[in-house]
Amino acid sequence: MRPILLQGHERSLTQIKYTKDGDILFSCAKDQVICAWFSANGERLGTYHGHQGALWTIDIDPSTTLLASGAADNTVRLWDVRTGKCIKVWDFNTAVKRVEFNEDGTKLLAVTEKRMGYLGTIVVLDVNVDVEAEQSDERSLIITCDESKATVAGWSYLSRYIIAGHEDGTVSQYDAKSGELLINEPAHEDGMQVTDLQMSSDRTYFITASKDKTAKLISARDLTPLKTYPSDTPLNTAAITPKKPFVILGGGQAAMDVTTTSSRQGKFEARFYHKVFEDEIGRVKGHFGPLNTIAVDPLGRGYASGGEDGYVRVHAFDRGYFDFGYEVEREMGLVGKR
Amino acid sequence: MSKTTKYHLFTFKDISRPDWADDEEFDDPSALPPQTVTTNKDGTKTVVSYRFNDDGKRVKTIRRIRTTIVKEYVNPRVAERKGWAKFGLEKGHAAGPSFDTTSVGENIIFRPSVTWKKDGKEEKKVGDDPKEKLKNMKVKCRICDGEHFTARCPFKDTMAPMGEDGAAGAGGAGADGDEEGPPKEGGLGTGGGGYVPPHLRKGGAAGAGERMGGKYERDDLATLRVTNVSEFAEENDLREIFERFGRVTRVFLAKDRDTGRAKGFAFISFQERTDAAKACEKIDGYGYGHLILRVEFAKRAT
Repeated sequence: MRPILLQGHERSLTQIKYTKDGDILFSCAKDQVICAWFSANGERLGTYHGHQGALWTIDIDPSTTLLASGAADNTVRLWDVRTGKCIKVWDFNTAVKRVEFNEDGTKLLAVTEKRMGYLGTIVVLDVNVDVEAEQSDERSLIITCDESKATVAGWSYLSRYIIAGHEDGTVSQYDAKSGELLINEPAHEDGMQVTDLQMSSDRTYFITASKDKTAKLISARDLTPLKTYPSDTPLNTAAITPKKPFVILGGGQAAMDVTTTSSRQGKFEARFYHKVFEDEIGRVKGHFGPLNTIAVDPLGRGYASGGEDGYVRVHAFDRGYFDFGYEVEREMGLVGKR
Repeated sequence: MSKTTKYHLFTFKDISRPDWADDEEFDDPSALPPQTVTTNKDGTKTVVSYRFNDDGKRVKTIRRIRTTIVKEYVNPRVAERKGWAKFGLEKGHAAGPSFDTTSVGENIIFRPSVTWKKDGKEEKKVGDDPKEKLKNMKVKCRICDGEHFTARCPFKDTMAPMGEDGAAGAGGAGADGDEEGPPKEGGLGTGGGGYVPPHLRKGGAAGAGERMGGKYERDDLATLRVTNVSEFAEENDLREIFERFGRVTRVFLAKDRDTGRAKGFAFISFQERTDAAKACEKIDGYGYGHLILRVEFAKRAT
């Protein structure tokens, strides 16, 4: 496969996201700009300007009308995907590290940083999925994380729970209506931050990546760990591939240590694991720095990775990927179907 | 549904100076001959057009165009978004990726495999091998077989290196490494001595010198030469044909540099010679793309 290289950012990438149809890829970086790209040919559709600080996170609503972003300028902004206009700004006390729409795009969660005497919180905002409509200023729910700040969060199936990953390596489940803490499970090693959390396409389970060099597949209903994927480097991101039972992990030496390591030693590769058998089945090289974020096309045609090196690499899977399967899978006729 | 038309465009030549013969044909120098379009036999079109370049010279451009229609079924939502106007930094830019933000990377071969980890480890092992060997090697003197470097040997000035006597025609006497009884006739001054090139020492006269790139020798044995290949053949097609018989390690299809078409012969290397033999037997005489393939074992290039 020949990756498409996107060089729209001047600083390291923080998050990339595909739309639900997989046609547009959004990327945000610390250079305060969001870019929208057509994933098929790498054409840039446009850029979204307005943030005054490093962008940490973006998300697109399922109908591809609204784009939400969170940044170090203590705001969450809502954008019209089509025109690039900012339609709403929500102000917070601290930086926003993660935003995510729920399944129907009517609610938006935002994870705020613990800083300047403020505790880390998870805030839920009501969103009207209409570019013209007035957006409410009110926070419909505020969850305060007293013990360890949340670093990542996501919505479970039917928007029933909010799942959050914490700085101390635990994963917790909150009731999405009341905000009550239901379960707090030590998923990763103590003190090892959960760096990414991505839901499966049906939102019944999710994958977490952590600095403890492992990624875990966890059930959203009761937070039982389903699978563990060990690696040899701190992980920044993990994604679940639709269509094929794989997971992709990305990581590498921490940014501050990078200058002292060559790209070969730095382990700057996307690692593919089999979702069920937990075996590593291959790697994809290319970045010159750690992989900060990986997103998978919701239609399973490819994936993209964003690195500390400022590049986004968009890959379209070729036949070898689709034809691969374990002996068992072949016998059951699970391989080869596209 | 949307239809996409792809044009493969080849520009053949730009003639910056008009030929004097052309000049005669057209009396008015400012008039340009009309554009002509001819349809070729192979389905391509040749378009000949004329224009003036910046220096006022007439330029004749011959383009050969092959039109392929690729039908693609696209989700209507996606199709609608494709038509969106650009905004932000891209505002006003023409459709299509721009070169300053988008480029295509080098090809990556990604083949997931169950034994990925194992394969990687084996590769590493091979790499570490020389070092490992050195670790277990003991220092051995070439003169007296003692456990010191040859340069440090106490008999350095009085004895010839061990085994050298054999090469000198003495019949390999006393090569058993006995320190007490150095072979007298193997001394430096013996008549038949003289200089013996390294490759003839130590019974090297048998001619079993180590070949360079010994790895490829085996490769050669399992390589087939395929001739009478259709000029439209692709390496992948050949691979598909031959993969049925066993693991193909290399497919080389000779191509014309200018036209990119096959020259009519190819080399296929198998991992196993038995597979190659089988393939040779089965594919020789096999019809492929209006021609009958001829397959034989490749002769080694000298």
